[in-house]
Amino acid sequence: MHNNPILRISTKILFAPIILFGLYVQFHGDFGPGGGFQAGVIVASAFILYSLVFGIEAGKKLFPTNVNLILLALGGIVYGGVGIVSMILGDEFLAYNILGSSPQSGQHIGILLVEFGVGLTVSNVMIALFNAFAGYDKVKEK
Amino acid sequence: MISELLINAFLVTIMLSIAIALIKTRTVIFTVILTSAYSLVAALMFITLDAVDVAFTEASVGAGISTILFLAAMAYLPQTEEESISSEFIPVLSCIILGGILIWCSFDLPEIGQLTAPIHQHVAPEYIKGSKEDIGIPNIVTSVLASYRGYDTFGETIVVFTAGVAVLALLEKKNTTKKNKSQPKQKIRKNA
Repeated sequence: MHNNPILRISTKILFAPIILFGLYVQFHGDFGPGGGFQAGVIVASAFILYSLVFGIEAGKKLFPTNVNLILLALGGIVYGGVGIVSMILGDEFLAYNILGSSPQSGQHIGILLVEFGVGLTVSNVMIALFNAFAGYDKVKEK
Repeated sequence: MISELLINAFLVTIMLSIAIALIKTRTVIFTVILTSAYSLVAALMFITLDAVDVAFTEASVGAGISTILFLAAMAYLPQTEEESISSEFIPVLSCIILGGILIWCSFDLPEIGQLTAPIHQHVAPEYIKGSKEDIGIPNIVTSVLASYRGYDTFGETIVVFTAGVAVLALLEKKNTTKKNKSQPKQKIRKNA
């Protein structure tokens, strides 16, 4: 698909807006529909679209595999970390009230961080899965 | 009321025809595309039930990313499904019996939106009442998902993580065994 100008240019135009929409869904989840799971999938789809059009090698150059794997684990750590921090501050695991100056602002910070962790893990798992499936054939040929 | 009925009937008709097409098709790529279309119609169904968050998830995960992952995995499958040789009588019969039981059970379900239904009497009223004061965000779905039910979502995240790692481990194993073929020379040198 590398040589098709329509696909190449529309991918270049769409790439940034897809990620922007993903971030909107991620951080607007408190007010509208959306959240970490949906946002993660949307952000992953931008990278997968890039890999589909420009080839898996170009996709890996844009988003290196080791960064992908680190972020994949980091999402769970962020989520669990919020729980640990609330425990250290003297409340129960994943009780966000203590994180802010008032219970509500604490809840706000907690939910934002937790959703961010979910988004990180989901998006990176999706990208890693796609890379694993799409890159499998080349290894087999060698 | 009538418009709602019409929309539902329209969506169910599309879903049914997609399901029948899914049974008939023997080409893998059509199966994947039809499954994606089915998810999209399911997302519309969820919108008619006012479950926007679920609809959003269904559209992005069911119709979007899983289709791409299926397509990526499809490359290693034969293009068409083989006709089954064994008799189809028993599977069809068991499907009809199971479907009959499910429809029969559905008569006992409370009407959609009925306030006295058990599902609306348990913890839901507390969450709906408390969400504004306890959490202070307008989207109750998010406050239930991330705060009231934070443990469950943590579990879900770990499940996604584990599934991803498991698939990577399965596919990576093949890679290393292939690489090892070129590596023994180095090992010999180390031993020497």
